[in-house]
This record gives sequence, structure tokens and C-alpha cells, in this order.
Amino acid sequence: MSANHQPAGVIPLLSICGVHHSFGRHRVLSGVDLALAVGECGVLLGANGSGKSTLLALLATRFRVQRGAYHLAGLVVAEHGEEVRRRLLFVGHHTHLYGHLTPLENLQFFADLHGLRPDGALLREAVGVAGLARHAEQPVRWFSAGMKKRLALARLLISRPDLLLLDEPYSALDAQGVSWLNALLHRFLQAGGVVVMASHDPERVAALSHRPLRLRGGRLYGQGEEEPC
Amino acid sequence: MLTVWRAAYRIAWKDVVGDWRQRATLSSMLFFAIAVLVVFQVAFDPDRREATRLLPGLLWVTVLFTSLMGLGRVFQAEEEDGAFEGLLLAAVPRGVVFLGKWLGNLLLTLLVEILLLPLTLVLFNVDAWGQLPVILGVLLLGTLGLTGLGVLLAAMTQAARSRETLLALLLLPLTAPLLIAGVQAVAALLDPGMEAAPWVRLLVIFDVVYLALAPWAFGWLVAE
Repeated sequence: MSANHQPAGVIPLLSICGVHHSFGRHRVLSGVDLALAVGECGVLLGANGSGKSTLLALLATRFRVQRGAYHLAGLVVAEHGEEVRRRLLFVGHHTHLYGHLTPLENLQFFADLHGLRPDGALLREAVGVAGLARHAEQPVRWFSAGMKKRLALARLLISRPDLLLLDEPYSALDAQGVSWLNALLHRFLQAGGVVVMASHDPERVAALSHRPLRLRGGRLYGQGEEEPC
Repeated sequence: MLTVWRAAYRIAWKDVVGDWRQRATLSSMLFFAIAVLVVFQVAFDPDRREATRLLPGLLWVTVLFTSLMGLGRVFQAEEEDGAFEGLLLAAVPRGVVFLGKWLGNLLLTLLVEILLLPLTLVLFNVDAWGQLPVILGVLLLGTLGLTGLGVLLAAMTQAARSRETLLALLLLPLTAPLLIAGVQAVAALLDPGMEAAPWVRLLVIFDVVYLALAPWAFGWLVAE
């Protein structure tokens, strides 16, 4: 199965075609194709420096598409950056949280910057889902890395995105946190979302139904493939 | 449109609340401004006539150096846990991020100026209390442009190793015309023989130019 293979009749929610990306003269991605339909989870595998984080940053619109095409939910990303950013959530190595704000304030900040108007009950629910209800009024500065990651992921409940982008999501999470994250992702996928994650830990992803996607030499290969599409 | 203003307000709110909780920028700006004024007062020990002549320049020099201190820290909070990247991933135009950062910095700088002006009049024994609101208005006009350009330059220099030096080196020459207009406008308010209106108009022109270009330039600067 190729990386952009879709069964006949299935319209992909996320599609990139012939995407190249370079930093100066250093080419990181060379003609990447990928298509994922609702409910699909693509797991990017590859050695350090293979371009996993670059691809995720590009999907998150952090980098512009230098060459190739990127569509999300039928939108041309290069032309609808703000609308696309409203439809995706990116949790990378950084959590984008402010230490001097409480969890509730951090979620409200995120909501306002995404044009969302959640009520207080939804914000408290999200903090509760992250298992941080007891810490709702404490500055995030005092939280452990795992607690911060849970809070960053709880934004999912506020913005209800189409696309969830995760870079090493299991790092900093304990065994309970891993189960919590997998349950959260399972519900998200069942609700029709798409997940693209980079992980060095395929065992932890195993609990999820997913498509392994291997980045090698700037190209994306589906499971068992020797040639990129 | 409401979404845009709400996002800008929230960024400014985050910066002001952060500063208040950490007692970071505002207190050091205020302390620095008072220290500068006291040093000037002790060094020159001017009589009332001389003080009236010196006051516009001293006031604006103090405002400039105090602003530099605030501008040097304007993107410091965004270094924490990739927060700046988070701002760039917001579902609003990048110019709105600039607007929020600028509003937060503007508010802190204006707060310092509101406290600074009466203190300057007392320290230099200048009887301009009747002109206080108008001088504050001129300070506001000058600060709009000064912080607008300053926040843009702070964004440009945030990744540099010696960013605070670089920021000062860029900001001082670029804001010189605005500062001259500000000094002349305050001087005109203190001297009945001078006309303030042309200098105020010049301040407005600088504000319009800086604030029209800065959000666009910021968007371009952070595009990748």
C-alpha cells in the first residue's frame, strides 16, 4: 500500500502531493505524498533528521509549502492559512503554555486566539479530562512535563479540530498517561478526526489502529514499500 | 473583526497579567526612570527657568531609555515552552499577534509615563500642572509610534545574541525624528511663544506610518 493510497470513493481529509522542503541548500523533504481520510491515524517513523518534525511543522502551517500542494478539508492551505489553523491542533516538543497563567487561563488564551468562545464549564471539563481539576487555579509553571503535555492535549476538547498533529506525544507521559492519551486519540479518531504523529516508540502506538509511514531520504513510504509513490 | 480584537486583547492581557504577577518589567522600568531623573536633577541642579528649558529633552530621553528596557523584554515570555510558535499557529492574521504584543507594551509604557510626568515636574520644580493633560497627550502620541516601531524591532532582534544592544542601535536612529517632534511639541507647550500644532501633526504622521507598516512587516518577518 502506498503512502497516499486511499480505497476507491474515499475522499481524503488531508492530502499533500509532491511536497518539497529545503532549509537553504539542505533538502529535507523531496516529493512527499500523503492522503489520510477521516478516522485515520498516520504514524511517521524514521531516523533522527529524516524530516518527521519538518513535515509536521509544514502540516501545521509553520512553514509555507515551497513546492507541491497541501489541502485540508478541501481548503488550499496556502490560500486559507487562518481557516486551516482553526481546523488543526499541533502539539510538538513544546506545549505553548505560559507558566504564569493557570490551566483555565491558558485554555481561554488558546480559545481566543482561535476565534472560539467556550463557556467556563467546557474549560473546566477540559482541565478535568486532563486530570488537572485539583490544579485548575495554580500557575502552570509548577506543573511537571507530563501535566503540561496533558493540558496541551486537552485543547483538543476546546477546538475540536479536524487534524491533530503530534510530535513525540508519548514523551514525558507515564504508563497511565500513555493509556489516557491513547483513549483520547481513539475517541478523536472515532469522531472523524485525522491524526498524524511522529513517534520513536511504535509499541506505544500499537494500541491504536494506524498506518505506519516511514520517512527515508526525504520521501515517505507506506508499510512494506520499497519505492515511494 | 471581533475575533481579531479579542485575540489582540488576550495577548495584551496575557503580557500585562504576566508582568503584574512576576513584578518584572513595570517595576524595573519605573525604578530605572526614577533613577535617571534623580541623576539628571542632581547633576544639573537647574533653576526653574533652566529646568523648563531642559525638561522636554530630559523627559523624552527618560521615556526612550525606559521604553528600551520594556522593549527588550517584550518577547521574553514567548521564549518559554515554544510560546512564540504557539502565537504563530493561532487562527488569526500574524498582524494581530503584533497588535496584541504592541498593546501590552504600550499599556506598560503609558503607565510608567503617567507616574513619571508628575514626578518630573516635582523633581525639577517646573510649574506646568495646568499643561499636564496636554503633555500626557503628546507623550501618548509619541509613545504610540515609539512602541510600534520598537515592538517590530524587538521581534526582528529577538533571535540575536546581543539583542538588547542591537535593538538600541536600530531604534535610536529610526525614532530620532519622532523624538525630535516629541521634544519640540512639549517645549512648545511650556513656552507660550512657540506653536505646538506642527510638531503634533508630525507626531501623528509618524504614528500613522509606523503603525500602518509594522503589522504588515511583522507578518512578513515571521512568515517562516
